Amino acid sequence: MIEITLTAWQMLVVKLLIILIIVPVGALVGGYVLHKEMAHMQHRLGPMYAGGWHGWAQTLADGIKFAYKEDIIPASADKRVFSLAPAVIFVPVLLLYLVIPIDRNLIVEDLDVGLFFLLAIGSVGSIGVLMAGWSSANKYALIGALRSAGQLIAYELPIVFSAAAIAMLAGTLSLVGIVEAQDWPFILWPPGLGLALFLLFLVGAMAEMALPPFDMPVAESELITGPFTEYTGMRFIFGFFFAETAHMIAFAAIGTTLFLGGYKPIVPWGPLDVIPGVLWFFVKTSFMVFLLLWIRFSFPRLREDQLQKFAWKVLIPLSLVLILVTGAWVLYGP
Amino acid sequence: MRLEAADALDRVKGALGDRVTDASLNHGQVDLTVEPDRFVEVVTILRDDIALGCRFFTFLSAVDRSTYKFDGDEHREAGSAGSQNGKGGIEVLVHLYSPDMIWHVNLHVPLDFESPVCPSITGVFKGAEWHEREAAEMFGIHFTDHPNLTTLYLSEDFEGHPMLKSFKLPARSYVKAWPGAKDPDEAAAAGGR
Amino acid sequence: MTIKDPELQNLQDSSAFATEVSEGRLVTEQMLLNVGPQHPATHGVFRLLATIDGERIVRAEPIVGYMHRGYEKLVEQRDYRQITNLISRMDWLSGINNELPLALALEELMEIEVPPRAQYLRVALAEMNRILNHLMFFQSFSAELGAITPTFYAFREREDIQYAMETVTGGRMHFGFFRPGGLKEDVPRGFTAMALAAVRKVIKRLPDYEDLLTGNEIFKQRTIDIGVLDKEVAYSYGVSGPIGRGSSIDMDVRRDEPYLVYDEFDFDVCRGTHGDCFDRFWVLLHEVIESAKIVEQALAGLPPGPIMGKVPRVVEAPKGEVYIRTENPLGELGLYLVSDGGKRPYRIKIRTPSFSNVSALPHVLENTLVADMIAILGSFFFVLGDVDR
Repeated sequence: MIEITLTAWQMLVVKLLIILIIVPVGALVGGYVLHKEMAHMQHRLGPMYAGGWHGWAQTLADGIKFAYKEDIIPASADKRVFSLAPAVIFVPVLLLYLVIPIDRNLIVEDLDVGLFFLLAIGSVGSIGVLMAGWSSANKYALIGALRSAGQLIAYELPIVFSAAAIAMLAGTLSLVGIVEAQDWPFILWPPGLGLALFLLFLVGAMAEMALPPFDMPVAESELITGPFTEYTGMRFIFGFFFAETAHMIAFAAIGTTLFLGGYKPIVPWGPLDVIPGVLWFFVKTSFMVFLLLWIRFSFPRLREDQLQKFAWKVLIPLSLVLILVTGAWVLYGP
Repeated sequence: MRLEAADALDRVKGALGDRVTDASLNHGQVDLTVEPDRFVEVVTILRDDIALGCRFFTFLSAVDRSTYKFDGDEHREAGSAGSQNGKGGIEVLVHLYSPDMIWHVNLHVPLDFESPVCPSITGVFKGAEWHEREAAEMFGIHFTDHPNLTTLYLSEDFEGHPMLKSFKLPARSYVKAWPGAKDPDEAAAAGGR
Repeated sequence: MTIKDPELQNLQDSSAFATEVSEGRLVTEQMLLNVGPQHPATHGVFRLLATIDGERIVRAEPIVGYMHRGYEKLVEQRDYRQITNLISRMDWLSGINNELPLALALEELMEIEVPPRAQYLRVALAEMNRILNHLMFFQSFSAELGAITPTFYAFREREDIQYAMETVTGGRMHFGFFRPGGLKEDVPRGFTAMALAAVRKVIKRLPDYEDLLTGNEIFKQRTIDIGVLDKEVAYSYGVSGPIGRGSSIDMDVRRDEPYLVYDEFDFDVCRGTHGDCFDRFWVLLHEVIESAKIVEQALAGLPPGPIMGKVPRVVEAPKGEVYIRTENPLGELGLYLVSDGGKRPYRIKIRTPSFSNVSALPHVLENTLVADMIAILGSFFFVLGDVDR
């Protein structure tokens, strides 16, 4: 056993390095998975050439290409806000990875209020989207930003409520504590309630990340890329592509932690304990990513007002009811 | 309830009487010649009369008959205003169709070649708006009472009326100078557009 | 909206907006939005000048002519046989259907009789092209609504039919195959089987597409009661084809005035009831089934014989005028041919379906939402080459 003692500052550097390496690599892999899954579902092959074997380096090649692109800022855009917006979108996504437990002892920062931190940081991105749309001096970007702002605010609540219900069931806000409190059969317990909360979280997450069927803000065929229409090069990659993919993986990881049991084995069968928790976490997160992408490619998009109606008239009352039911379960249930 | 062409012709003659200057059959379709001042009236009757029922607006266009070889005619020059029976000028052509009784009617409205003016039928058929705009810019016809007689296909500063026989296709006769700047520096110097 | 906070009410800001707000009136502005000419949703260079108030369209004015090539002038300078390839490029998704009215008009004026084998083959090829066209619009409509997957399914089906047509005509999109009097040449051996197999594959997969979209709740919410086109309004604009039939207009040239040998085939005319986007799309999908039926009957009953009638060596139409119309996949394609004897036409007026259909857009787009505008534009199935000629 090697004894390593590090000062607080050195620990900080190590933690930052972990985040700054893992997240982009994860985003690259996630992007590749996106391309391949979309391709196979559409009866075609997807990237096949970049890197040799089945185009594994496609997203890497894309990233390098974007680094070469000219950095264009529209003449009538608000320069400072325009430059800052991608950062405001990307940095909170990075921070999300701080508190996600990969294994019992593998977590960057084990906060006691981990869940609260997650939800709070996750909503900062909305400001970034508004900044991007407004400062672009482009009518299409403005429409996209306004749609996005309304959507993000509306769909925060189902996520918050379902996460709060889970916190109530687990009795703690710390993410490690939540995973420890979960037992097989994970989302099937409490019966019905767990599944309902999971679906609520799933729908809220898809809308939070502006994935189809909730991708009105970036409706490709109408607004080109919505708030990010005027962005090119590295700003575009960091603000849009990286943020979207990293966000999706982050939410998949959060969903795994809250609902699917995090790093615990799928069934509490003795021989399975030999498989490290990291692998279980990885398998479950991959399943969540696959699910999110599957839904993404299958449905047309909801119109903005239908989206809002769905949130305010269906999802939020439903989540309030579920909170009450959860409270009743915690108080009077087994 | 199909209407045979001969019956259609009888009905049309009966309903329109002397509002049309000529009514005949042509390849199974009714052909009418109308003067411009009775044009809107005739179209309205064709649409509203239950026995006729031409509710479907197929198209409105024009034909420049100035070089058309009428019977017993020598070759005529494009744009010659002299005509036979007033027929050698610009002619507005309207085609209507009755979807219930399945019969067609072609309306020919001969106009004066020097200043072609025709009343607009947008009040009767809303779809005529675009067709009349196209005929106006292509043939130089002025449609009175048209809600928005601007150019449809051509740019506002286009000179001439392309579909007239006197308008030669540039590629086959002469070359017009390029109207704008010839390279990017010139364009920037001119103020950048 | 009045401001109750006394501090804010005393705010003496010189901007007009602040004064407006503090006096209790909120001012909104109408925005002029240019949809196109370069826009992913508009099937080509089509510009829509929309005045929008928030998310609602107050007025929409289509501006066309970006693709105007002057067909009607060009054909006056060309031989009749040279025109075929030219007018095939109007509605580029229905290449072979565009050549049909010209051939029929010349046959009518010159009184040429077309042998039955040519008639049957013409019907089969025209209907196969109709399937191609409808599948293309099926994918473009879904893609605009956000469902990107049907695109690839549609193209997969189109591939087999295009291959069959390539073996006959040599082209996949522009064919140049119909001649006045018949066809350019006979079909190769094995064409019938290949065409039937391709068409049957489409029909087998069509229920999947229907389930994927028309049964989808989100799709229904986006298209039902959106962009309603009234029947009488459609008549006055001259709207025909799947769009007209979606508004329950009972018009189909193939059934009303059968040209070629359509009167020998058994097929239904699909009609919608409400005139909304969903009905137009539904008519589009079901027309594919009807076209497949016609192709099967045509190829099953294909008579042997020559494929070209008695056509003089020099194609000269006698003096006369005739209006011939056919059922183009997008609507009624008509050709008014004015001939004064000679090898060139005196005047051809090409009545294209998309021109009349698009002229009805301002009426339909009034008072709709911006997101609905995309659905309506997609459901109007127009091709810019047809609109602009």
